[in-house]
Amino acid sequence: MSEHTVSSQAYAKAVLHCAKYPWATVQGLFLTETKDNKIRYIDAIPLSHTWTQLTPMFDIALQQAQIYAASKNLSVGGYYVAYEDPNNIQLSASSALLAKAVLAINSNAVAFVIDAKHLAPESVRSGLIPFVSVDAQWKEQAGAFDSGKKGGKGSEFVLENNRVLVTAKKLIAERAEAAIHDFDEHLDDVSLDWLQNPLLNEQIRTA
Amino acid sequence: MSSSLELLAEIRQSSERRPFAVLKLAEPLLNTRGVSRAGDDAWLVYEQVFVSAIDEGQIELAKAVLVILRTRFPSSQRVKRLYGMINEAVGHPDEAKTIYKEMLEADETNILASKRLIALLKSYGHIGETVKQLVAYLDIHNNDFEAWLELSNLYLTQNLYPQAAFCMEEVIMQQPANHYFHLCYAEISYSMGNFDLALKEYLRVVELSTDNVRGFYGIKLVADRIRDIRAKPKRDQNARIDDAPQPATLDRLSQLATERLVAAYNGANDTCKKTAEEWLKA
Repeated sequence: MSEHTVSSQAYAKAVLHCAKYPWATVQGLFLTETKDNKIRYIDAIPLSHTWTQLTPMFDIALQQAQIYAASKNLSVGGYYVAYEDPNNIQLSASSALLAKAVLAINSNAVAFVIDAKHLAPESVRSGLIPFVSVDAQWKEQAGAFDSGKKGGKGSEFVLENNRVLVTAKKLIAERAEAAIHDFDEHLDDVSLDWLQNPLLNEQIRTA
Repeated sequence: MSSSLELLAEIRQSSERRPFAVLKLAEPLLNTRGVSRAGDDAWLVYEQVFVSAIDEGQIELAKAVLVILRTRFPSSQRVKRLYGMINEAVGHPDEAKTIYKEMLEADETNILASKRLIALLKSYGHIGETVKQLVAYLDIHNNDFEAWLELSNLYLTQNLYPQAAFCMEEVIMQQPANHYFHLCYAEISYSMGNFDLALKEYLRVVELSTDNVRGFYGIKLVADRIRDIRAKPKRDQNARIDDAPQPATLDRLSQLATERLVAAYNGANDTCKKTAEEWLKA
């Protein structure tokens, strides 16, 4: 059983991507690092907020994310999506296919649906709902971040520490989402660094 | 003051959804009654602020602006629709529906009301009914390309790619010079496996626009993909490449796209540039 730990940077960036386009479906990737059987979600790479069911630019972005990840000794280990309809917290058919493409390059890849209801300031839980591939189907791990204490037997998914949520909420309140640029934006302006979003990393570090 | 009004006018013109920016620009104007300097446009500004306010969840501000608009235009249907919208924003869909239906009873050709009813259905997740109403709307207003776009998006959320493609064809017939629609059509075609069509459309995109990075990426991706498919002994049933150009032409297109991308990436930072260049080599 592998333990999945999500860092502040990964969580904040995924959530800020949602905050930048609250009326749209957004999706992106997670970069991970694996040591022993522990998988750490180090960073998030935001991909798109338009035509999210369509594949060509997703294919290119996934390939480039892999190249970038390899250069940092990381892997592309996850896919996240937040749907236009906040009541939709099931992995859609097209998302399942896109996540499968990530699974094809990393057999430990996990798909996450972001539940917008848990991004509110008063929320005390993670907004990420993991879907793990079992027998070629994505199976929801409901309540994954809740059960047990960190390192406890029931919990496969944890947030790195109790600063993760606090940091994300603070950045949302400060409207830090203006600083996040996804691949869609990069295609309109290649000077925008969608792979690293360095200015945002700085804001997350000092939040 | 006037530059804020100019910026607000630009945002109205481009139809960008930037509620936070609109409120930031408008707030000082509202406080100092600077909106009146816009003359007749003042009412457009108030309407813009209203829509941005409900988008940002600032209901009290929206209500205040609504009062100003209602005072000035007491029997306006355009203002009445805003009452419908604020009801939607606070989670009173039935009240909103009643308002829109009243508007349609007064005038069955009221497009604003028809569209709000459709939007209301969509926001509550009744996609099947939404599609039905939108199709009925398009039967009457079939030159409303934005409605065709909306229908295309709805079909995509249901993974109905051929239907979405059909809608984009209608959009393109009405707006043939807009590269953005060709881009969408190219990407739907690619996703369906119609690679020959995707290539044609990506080429149209770069023909209609300048330095379109997304277009060049598309050309390179599809040209290489067609080449790979032809090289395989067993053909994938879903891949349509019959109308694709000859191998020599494909190679040239792939090469040209690569050159244009390398040129474009001179404006990128090292990380993105290196990554793109490695991708181009692969």
